[in-house]
Amino acid sequence: MRVLVVDPDPARAALVAEGLAGVEPLEVRHALLFVEAEAAAFAPDVIVVASDSPDRDTIESLREATAANPRPVVMFVDRSEAGLAEQAVLAGVSAYVVDGLSAARVRSVLEVAMSRFQLMNGLRQDLEKAKADLASRKTVERAKALLMKERGLEEEAAYRVLRKLSMDTGRPLGAVAADLVAFAGVLKGNGS
Amino acid sequence: MSGERPLRLGFIALNDAAVMIVAKEKGFFAAEGLDVELSRQVSWATVRDKMSVGALDGAHMLAPTALAISLGVAGGEPTPLVAPLALNINGPAITVASRLAAAMGTGRTAEGLARLVTRRREEGASPITLAVVFPFSVHNYLLRDWLARAGIDPDRDVRLTIAPPSRMTELLVGGVVEGFCVTEPWDTAAVAAGAGVVLVRGSELWPRTPDKVFAVTEAWAEARPDDLQALLRAMLQAGAWADAPGNRAELASLLALPHYVGADPLVIEASLSDMIFHAGGASAPQTVHAAWLLSQMMRWAHIDPDVDIAAVASRVYRPDLHQAATRALGLPDTAPIATLEGFEDGAAFDLLTAQAHAVRARQGRISAG
Repeated sequence: MRVLVVDPDPARAALVAEGLAGVEPLEVRHALLFVEAEAAAFAPDVIVVASDSPDRDTIESLREATAANPRPVVMFVDRSEAGLAEQAVLAGVSAYVVDGLSAARVRSVLEVAMSRFQLMNGLRQDLEKAKADLASRKTVERAKALLMKERGLEEEAAYRVLRKLSMDTGRPLGAVAADLVAFAGVLKGNGS
Repeated sequence: MSGERPLRLGFIALNDAAVMIVAKEKGFFAAEGLDVELSRQVSWATVRDKMSVGALDGAHMLAPTALAISLGVAGGEPTPLVAPLALNINGPAITVASRLAAAMGTGRTAEGLARLVTRRREEGASPITLAVVFPFSVHNYLLRDWLARAGIDPDRDVRLTIAPPSRMTELLVGGVVEGFCVTEPWDTAAVAAGAGVVLVRGSELWPRTPDKVFAVTEAWAEARPDDLQALLRAMLQAGAWADAPGNRAELASLLALPHYVGADPLVIEASLSDMIFHAGGASAPQTVHAAWLLSQMMRWAHIDPDVDIAAVASRVYRPDLHQAATRALGLPDTAPIATLEGFEDGAAFDLLTAQAHAVRARQGRISAG
């Protein structure tokens, strides 16, 4: 079975391709953009497309142009499994099967693709969180430095002040630190 | 008023998403008590899928796509949609590569293109490739009609392909396509990039060309009538704002934002020139427009000849919902357009004769083949 993965996100495409290669003997290729001539040469049995690929309309239109394309693709809609199609849409994946492939085989491909998309979304969220954590830690450092300078505190004592402020107000340390830095700026006339 | 989560409305990066963008950015949605999230999509296929599973509450949509989705011929599950608002009048244009325009010389008309098609065939060269944005688009039907009137068979004499609007210039430059029919700003953008020449605007082929509609599922419209009316009132006011000449520069800079259309604001401002969003009843969904689009879908065998054109047009296009919103705002009613003129056989086109027109056009095509 040959699977073409079209995804403008190269990291995610690679993840999906890797996941699919483990399922059963098959050949997986990934492309950032759908190029009709390349696709025709590869002759995929299934095309897995990210919902955020701008090429979905082009791929779908190949159904209309059977004369121009000897291997038309059709949209994978198995009416008995409407739930699967719905999950795929929400996960951001679509699949097109070329005539003659069994629904069960397409299902396994789609399930792997969906799980990889979810994995990637999870990784992206972790990355965002890590970035936010890092930014928050930098803000705490700045707030500490401010307290040390303005109130002549040791580093440990400055941290305890922030900690107490956070506990008293029930707000995260990063938020309290950010407020302190912002207010200090206003008091010094940096704001308006 | 609206539910627990914001209303999610999908749009594609085109000038005719203006009414939705203005309603959000200029506070018309908020003034109606609506919390709306605009969600940019990159393909009509994804808009269709997200509408059918409820991931989008409503969307900016090609008018023929709303009809095709309702009939279940656009791929995916048949999902009855309603179109209670037209988002724009005018905006599509036919643009060709500068090289092709040069080869056409002074005959920059469909007839000029027909001569070029013949010459290419005699030379054994590959046929001219033209792109539209989606099979079920007014662009496809305008282009096909324009070609057919000059004796070009759009299915045999040229190669018609589908490409995303925002990639048209790049495809023109790369020689992948030699022309396209797409809504602004992508025609003006191709001209500004020195890649293309606008041969004819939709508004020259058909004054007040219908193009996009705002669509929701019929089930959503029935379940949330108050939210739908509030959306319509907000977008009607946004349309009037967008039409005001004094607001066009600001409109262009709003559309130009990278998360909306994402193109040069000067290009967008120039490309808005013939587009109308509200004035003169532009926002009213005209059932006869839906009937014309369905007749073209039938003419080119995109739908079966037994589809009841008048019934489908009247179920999807809902001027009654539009009228309820205009009345609530104290605006005058929009008179329905009864007939369309300009057909080659001279007969008027209306809701009653639409089916006969379509069947005749389809038969004429089959017998010619």
